[in-house]
Amino acid sequence: MAISLKESIIVGLSDFWSRKIRSLVTIVGIVLGTMSIIVVLSLVKGINKKTLEWMMERGGLSKISVYRNWNYEKQVDVKNYFTLKEINLIRSLVPEAKYFNPQIREGVHYSYGENKYRGSIYGVIPDFKKIEEWDVEAGRFISGFDIKQNSDVIVIGTNVKEELFGNKKAVGQFITAGKRRVQIIGVMSHRFMDNSGNIGNDNALAYLNRRAFVPLSTMIHKGTGRDRINSFTVKAKDAESAPELRQKLEAIILNLRFGEPVFTIESAQEEAEKMAENAKKFRIIFFLISAISLLVGGIVIMNIMLASIQERTREIGIRLTVGARRIDIFVQFLVQTILVTTIGGILGIVSGLSILDIVSKYLNIKLIAGFSMMIIAITVSAGIGFIFGISPAIKASKLDPVVALRHE
Amino acid sequence: MDRIIEIKDLKKEYKMGKVTVPALNGVDIEIYEGEFLAIMGPSGSGKSTLMHIIGCLDTASSGTYFFNNEEVSKIKKRKLAVIRNEQVGFVFQTFNLLPHLNIQKNVELPLTYAGYSKKKRVALARKVLDEVGLSDRLKHKPSELSGGQRQRVAIARALVNSPSVILADEPTGNLDTASGSDILTIFSDLNYKGNTIIIVTHDPAVAKRANRVIKIVDGLIQNGDIS
Repeated sequence: MAISLKESIIVGLSDFWSRKIRSLVTIVGIVLGTMSIIVVLSLVKGINKKTLEWMMERGGLSKISVYRNWNYEKQVDVKNYFTLKEINLIRSLVPEAKYFNPQIREGVHYSYGENKYRGSIYGVIPDFKKIEEWDVEAGRFISGFDIKQNSDVIVIGTNVKEELFGNKKAVGQFITAGKRRVQIIGVMSHRFMDNSGNIGNDNALAYLNRRAFVPLSTMIHKGTGRDRINSFTVKAKDAESAPELRQKLEAIILNLRFGEPVFTIESAQEEAEKMAENAKKFRIIFFLISAISLLVGGIVIMNIMLASIQERTREIGIRLTVGARRIDIFVQFLVQTILVTTIGGILGIVSGLSILDIVSKYLNIKLIAGFSMMIIAITVSAGIGFIFGISPAIKASKLDPVVALRHE
Repeated sequence: MDRIIEIKDLKKEYKMGKVTVPALNGVDIEIYEGEFLAIMGPSGSGKSTLMHIIGCLDTASSGTYFFNNEEVSKIKKRKLAVIRNEQVGFVFQTFNLLPHLNIQKNVELPLTYAGYSKKKRVALARKVLDEVGLSDRLKHKPSELSGGQRQRVAIARALVNSPSVILADEPTGNLDTASGSDILTIFSDLNYKGNTIIIVTHDPAVAKRANRVIKIVDGLIQNGDIS
């Protein structure tokens, strides 16, 4: 003999419905709490996804970059660049690295007839396109032969091509880069990553399209004329082995520079791990902030339920008189509280999802909602109902039927 | 006739702060199946307390109480709920209906706690509401009914789970004379059909309908068997 759970839920729902305004006021805290859980978790997920996409676009997680450490203040006289000899030495010390690309960057003016353009030119070797996972859309990329011959050839980005040639064919043409005449052998494929909603260009990768590439040897011997390599990139055989390779490179480079941190050595994999770690902390902190609002909501609900029990004392007396056991009364009120908070949770999810776009525009970050966060929000709100519903339910179930019946 | 209720030397005391107030001072009663019994007494005499104990809403401080040959004073509280649900039907002066439920749902309430299926609950509730003449008011809320009609709903609720006894506490106290008379006629008819009825009242007109009257004063029975 007992009132079933289904019956309790029906009783709870009809109570909720017959006291609509009060019920809605009761759940405001829960609605706001779950709403903020949804928004925060979507925000974190959005940031993570964006950053990971960015990393994948920039050569993936197995990429390691070595470049000048701009925070380093020169203590002793050490070079803040590498010589070709040093580069060859480093390369020979990391045979496990799949690709290795030393590079030199220089700002340069191009001209083709009347058309002029200013951009960055990079001296690279063929490994570049493997590391960046970026190939040409027309012509060919720099070859080993070009390096050996110090060829006067250039591969340009789509933006450079656009500015100098418009719709005309660029491959095979000669242009002036700085003071030198070079032949265009290829046009890099167009790079694009959606940046809508963010400040700046619609294309997050637009800067890559403004670049041009020449053989590293040509750059050293015919361009800058200096044996100074600013940076290099390396590709490990996979993302998992990248952190180890990074450490090895760091040790080698520190050794070459007398222990001075002249260079920054960065592994995309490690950055991704750091990012995941930070995201986790971020998520926990914001989750706790949301939890405080949920706790406040829970306390409000507990108070309202206690007041409601006071108001419904006679009803409880009647139920006890017609045969309700204490456990029936307990379950009825507990289920009702859980029901109220769960409805609050659902409303919170719905309102959270509906404001994602607004928050997205305001913060300039795309927010991504997931199914698991909805499950979390529902579970948390139902849990709040359970925790804060126990005390009112016990109070209700302990009422003396005779006293309860006399209650006015 | 079988004896349904047997009470011996029943005492009940209430603690009010540090003071103990006696309500029943050693009551002896026997009630038989099919009786229509009136318990009369002035207010404060202990008649309501006695009714609460008979109906298993309250427990005695001392003495013995057998209900259907089971010693109630030794039954666990959880089991008392089962007795209230299956063996006793209550009718109160103030009706005690749940205001937010329609009358059919109010009548279904004891069956809900008895674990009946929805279908069976509806059928039984409609049947007893028909018996008290309210089959056309099933979906009405108690507030939409007259006092006499509300009391008939309460009687239907008391009857719906076929209890051994119907306990009524001043059932006509809130009604005008005509409605009160109608309600007493319903009780008489139910008694005629074999139901055991115990009415607590201070109204001699109500007591006249009963076939036995017990007078209670200051927590003591004055006479055992006035017919």
